[in-house]
Amino acid sequence: MNKKRALTFSITRTVAAIFIAILVATLLIFVSSKGNTVGAKFSETLVALRAMLIGPLFRNNGSFNTKGFLEILALMVPIMLTGLATTVMFSANQFNLGSEGGIMFGAFITALIAIYTPLPPVILPIVSILGGSFATMLLLMVPAVLKAKLGVSEMVNSLMINYIVMYIINFLLNTRFMDRTKGQVQTLNFQEHALLPQLVGRGTKLSLGLVIALVVVAIVATVMYRTRWGYNIRMIGQNEDFSKYSGINVPFYIILAQGLGGFLAGMGGSLEMLGRYTAYDWKSLPGYGWTGVTVAILAGNNPAYVPLAAFFMAYLDKGCEMMSTYSSVPAQLIDIIQAVIFLFFAADNFLAGYRQKLVIKSAEEDAKAANEVQVEGGK
Amino acid sequence: MGFFEFVFTVEFFFSIIRITAPIIFATLAAIICQKGGVSNIGLEGTMMMSALFGSLFAYYSGSWIVGVLVAIITGIIVSLGIAFFAFNLRTNIILAGTAVNMIGSGGTIFLVKVITGMTEGNQLTSTNGLISTRLQIPVINIPILKDIPLIGGVLSGHSLLTYLAFVLVFLTWALLYKTPIGLNIRSVGENPNAASSVGVSVIKIKYTVLIIGGILAGLGGAFMSMYYSMGWSQDMVAGRGFIALAATAMGGGEPLGGLLAALIFGFAQALSIKASAVGIDSNLVSPIPYLVTIIGLVVFAIVAREKAKKPHKVKESA
Repeated sequence: MNKKRALTFSITRTVAAIFIAILVATLLIFVSSKGNTVGAKFSETLVALRAMLIGPLFRNNGSFNTKGFLEILALMVPIMLTGLATTVMFSANQFNLGSEGGIMFGAFITALIAIYTPLPPVILPIVSILGGSFATMLLLMVPAVLKAKLGVSEMVNSLMINYIVMYIINFLLNTRFMDRTKGQVQTLNFQEHALLPQLVGRGTKLSLGLVIALVVVAIVATVMYRTRWGYNIRMIGQNEDFSKYSGINVPFYIILAQGLGGFLAGMGGSLEMLGRYTAYDWKSLPGYGWTGVTVAILAGNNPAYVPLAAFFMAYLDKGCEMMSTYSSVPAQLIDIIQAVIFLFFAADNFLAGYRQKLVIKSAEEDAKAANEVQVEGGK
Repeated sequence: MGFFEFVFTVEFFFSIIRITAPIIFATLAAIICQKGGVSNIGLEGTMMMSALFGSLFAYYSGSWIVGVLVAIITGIIVSLGIAFFAFNLRTNIILAGTAVNMIGSGGTIFLVKVITGMTEGNQLTSTNGLISTRLQIPVINIPILKDIPLIGGVLSGHSLLTYLAFVLVFLTWALLYKTPIGLNIRSVGENPNAASSVGVSVIKIKYTVLIIGGILAGLGGAFMSMYYSMGWSQDMVAGRGFIALAATAMGGGEPLGGLLAALIFGFAQALSIKASAVGIDSNLVSPIPYLVTIIGLVVFAIVAREKAKKPHKVKESA
């Protein structure tokens, strides 16, 4: 199959998966919308769908919703990084699902550094972010080392670590680090000069974090596709035995991939904290890790497509939020939409018949071209 | 009163059994699936959905039996979904399971809000209160046994499903090792090509193990929302579906081993509940079961590694 056909196929597939998800969403919205007659339900469904699909970018009067757009961009930052983290780990066929706990851990460590270390401006945010990232790297290397050295499932251990991280952070937050002057459970405020500069004002909380995240995407894409490390990580994911026999130090790269994943997930938490918060107040797992898995699947485990996938997920998230404001449909619909897209997207045989047709068409054309060459040669 | 007299009471051992039961259901589901060569990580989400629909249907029908049946049916439907995507559409099974878990954690909240009409106003969405003692899975006092001091207090007075969980350990073992279908399941898990060469339909067996897993997870879900708690609440399964995977690995993939691993987990959790009762911060004791799981997996891996080394050494010395 030539490149153009392959592209046509992947675009068709993407559109089909999203279409099915929206169809499922429409059905669920229809069922859940309030109204006594079919007509009333139908119009409510339209209102909800409009809010979800168009609402984030365009207001009801048709003007561009700048605030909504900026919020989507801000929302992209954490899920871009957990998406990248998942991309790297899944590329090595390591099903480490710890970016959920990882982002919380990174956020908390960054918060502590940003509150308590007496460092000058510029240095403080850098140290805070790197501190959170490296700490999370070590955290996610625990299941990695256990996998590489003892063959223990990294998946189960990383899931357990998510719960442990959540409880321990809550313990520390409640006992040692709580700001007792505030009405709610949170830490002291970060030092003013730890916060990342905002790109635009108006309370959209879009910070320099977005730029940093995009730069990190470029770096990870380069590492994964232009360096020996990236090549070896992907090679292990494709065929671990082959990698072993061709002399790749498999345990090292298993640990490296998950360490890198941890670093990225932690950084997601760090940027989120210093970009959008003034104090740490997460009491439960934020869910960005799971969205990151969806992002990685949508991006086909290719770091270069992560921003696009993250934009899509952030858009949906914002859309569902708008929908629950303008209609009676709960915002958690996003979890179902996400799961449906996810299932079809990861399905190898989804539209396999169509792919087969394209392959045959290409083969026939190739054969025809070859024939013509032969005929010409026979003259 | 000494520490041991305080901790190791009749109620404590009673609570271990109560806490272990749902983990047994999930662990048996994971074991059957693993024996058939399927790693089902969607048990967590499956249990969440079974717990939700079980409690809702029990409430609307006014009968706990209907609730349990619906929970089982929900488990089967969800597992069929996983099977369809994994085997017919060839989605990576771990991703299919992850999708089910997503629906289990967020989608259930959506469904609860839609079905019961509760809104964001009710901060913690749950069906708590819908399940009254009348709708709870009935408790059974075993005659004669209940009158024996100590042992009676520990073993008698559990719910029907608790006893069923322990019985199912042996039924699962019998299914796997004493029936033709069990033989097929094990052969598919060990070598699908060999199995299919002697005429076993690999895909049928994989569907079968997922369905059995769905039934077991459904029972686990029903237990959670109709006995363990009085109704469904957000994230109530709290990782038991994942712990089941760990218990399966710790138990060497065998029903009896899985039971022991589940009991260890139950013990750890009972201990942590006890600890928070004495005033130790619950956030400090709640992670104990998860920590125990990791330690258990590591110990199991080291033991398995030592075992694997031994015959090798014998050969060298011979």
